[in-house]
Amino acid sequence: MKVFIDPPNSMILFDLVERFGHEPLCAMIALREMVNNTEIDMPPMNISLDDVVKGLKYAGIEVPSGIRGRLAVWGPLIEEADAAIIMEDAPFAFGCVGCERSNQMVKYLIKKRGIPVVHVSYPENEEQGKLIVSKIKEFFEKLKEIS
Amino acid sequence: MSEGMETRVIMISPSSHITPDQLTRMIHMSGKKVTVKETCYGCLVEGPSETVREIRDEIRNLDPNGIFSKVRAYPCGDQRRCRAKHGTRPGYAQLETEWKALSYIKIGLDASNRGEKPKEVTQKKQLSVTKFKKICEVG
Amino acid sequence: MIRIAQLSCGTEYSGIQFEIEKAARSVGAKIVYPDVSAEDINEAVDRFGFDPKSPQLKLMIARAVQLADDRYDADAVFITTCFRCAEASLVRNELRRFIQENTRLPVVTYSFTERLKSSQLLTRMEALVTIVERKDLLSRTRQTGLTAGLDSGSSTTKAVIMKDNKILGKSWASTGDVVQSATTVLKEAMEQADVKPKDIEAIGTTGYGRFTLGKYFNAKLVQEELTVNSKGAAWLAGKQSGEATIIDIGGMDNKAITVRDGIPDNFTMGGVCAGASGRFLEMTAKRLRINIADLGSYAVKGNWINAKMNSYCSVFGIQDLVTTLGEGKPFEDVAAAACHSVAEQVYEQQLQEIDVRHPIIQVGGTSLNAGLVKAIGEILGEPPIVPPDSQYIGAVGGALLSSGFL
Repeated sequence: MKVFIDPPNSMILFDLVERFGHEPLCAMIALREMVNNTEIDMPPMNISLDDVVKGLKYAGIEVPSGIRGRLAVWGPLIEEADAAIIMEDAPFAFGCVGCERSNQMVKYLIKKRGIPVVHVSYPENEEQGKLIVSKIKEFFEKLKEIS
Repeated sequence: MSEGMETRVIMISPSSHITPDQLTRMIHMSGKKVTVKETCYGCLVEGPSETVREIRDEIRNLDPNGIFSKVRAYPCGDQRRCRAKHGTRPGYAQLETEWKALSYIKIGLDASNRGEKPKEVTQKKQLSVTKFKKICEVG
Repeated sequence: MIRIAQLSCGTEYSGIQFEIEKAARSVGAKIVYPDVSAEDINEAVDRFGFDPKSPQLKLMIARAVQLADDRYDADAVFITTCFRCAEASLVRNELRRFIQENTRLPVVTYSFTERLKSSQLLTRMEALVTIVERKDLLSRTRQTGLTAGLDSGSSTTKAVIMKDNKILGKSWASTGDVVQSATTVLKEAMEQADVKPKDIEAIGTTGYGRFTLGKYFNAKLVQEELTVNSKGAAWLAGKQSGEATIIDIGGMDNKAITVRDGIPDNFTMGGVCAGASGRFLEMTAKRLRINIADLGSYAVKGNWINAKMNSYCSVFGIQDLVTTLGEGKPFEDVAAAACHSVAEQVYEQQLQEIDVRHPIIQVGGTSLNAGLVKAIGEILGEPPIVPPDSQYIGAVGGALLSSGFL
């Protein structure tokens, strides 16, 4: 099962999805294709004007370019996903997920797709650590039952 | 980087007894054709996807719930993301923060293995205006 | 190599980071990011006192604090965020103030779209590098020897001949062929000064055509107009020490520069809207069939409120003016409205990106338009100083600075 993770660059979520035998859809994999594209030389990420223009599919021209560029990369992943895990209250999310408005839009796009979603909180103590693992495990078990 | 290749960030939970040095030595000794770079939090492994995933599974045996990984967009030592060239990359502080939380995830995975089912703590609710008014009146 | 610290949000996902670095490289500078750890970010945001929702903006704050505390080595600062992002715009401006209050580093701010090309940043980056690399040259307050300054602007080309800190000759003409226009005005200025080409000890060039002219005339100084114009403005206004704001509304772009002892420490440059440039006034004059030189004298006698415009645009706004004339409104009011419109646009687009310091010195060809000077004064609540020969700032700056090479 293809599972979109939010934040899309989270190590914790990527690891847990793989650990439970599924395929994480994340920013790193989408960007890997871009940075390895030898035909474009626009370091550091090889995101070009064309990519940002593609973002118009998700947000209008009055929306800042950084948001449209992000949505151009993540939007197709959300469209491809069978399920999603959203981690709320991550204390810090930088780089790829540094724009809060983009992050809000990602959550909305997931909701709009209507795929199964589990919400977990960023762990700040042992109990929350247990809860994350248990919720994600249970989520996958339920999805297995349904399918 | 050619197709079918993968770069993976391996991170050791702060509560694990494994060291980055042990990890890289083990990978080197496996004789598999991959590039390994030791980091403060674990290591970077790069090679054919299948081999990298085999390594991921093998090193997890050292501490099954204490070693974590994710793929990385950039190949090892890529100048475009080189700290020495530019300064820290934007996502560095996030990795640093997530690393600290890995010990909680380790506890979560251990508990899950034991079959524990934690209960979700109910969310904090705001005090109703009526109750708050009463408290104020008493004061 | 000059190290320009970049404090930014959105550049990589907008696909423009490459353009920023290209612009820096082409002026011999390097873009760097101050190193921060996750803990630094918490502390920095607490100390700064503005806690934005977007984490990348928190990172920007932490990087600025590193610079303020001198924990990271940089020579200049470039603060840039996405155009139309309100949160980022607030942080960008407050960080610029923070950097200026806590460091002596020159800083420039910019809001970008995905269409940004390195050439748009070139003059800004070049100015940052000049301020760092040529500090000694920029602190020159007197012109020495016999030198010439050439300012090749988008609308007009200006030449000045100076000797021992005095202007001996000056001339200007509309810009056609860059070299030909400059040759003509230089010849006229030399005739006025009664000097021969062989007498000129050094030439300084600035403006859009500076590189072409620099090569053609074998200039000792070829420098962007932000630093050269500031120097010329400070010299002409006799404000070489202390603080000031220079407003230079040009034919194709406009500049707002804050200076300390004649050296810029913050500047903004606009060039995307004809409505905020001298071109708007030129087009208005043409459309109203009056001489551009007369527009200002009409405007000072009029009241802009009587000729309301529905648009700042050089097409639709000017059409509004024509319609107003058709309604029988006086010419003076329409001219005043045109000047007010440009002043308001400069205020909205440029002056929000700097902290206006006093006195305000208005220069450039448009400062000869009394109506525009009046409008700027009304909007800023203080009449600007317009020094004599205010249209020659670039040429004077070129002559003054090139004498530093003698």
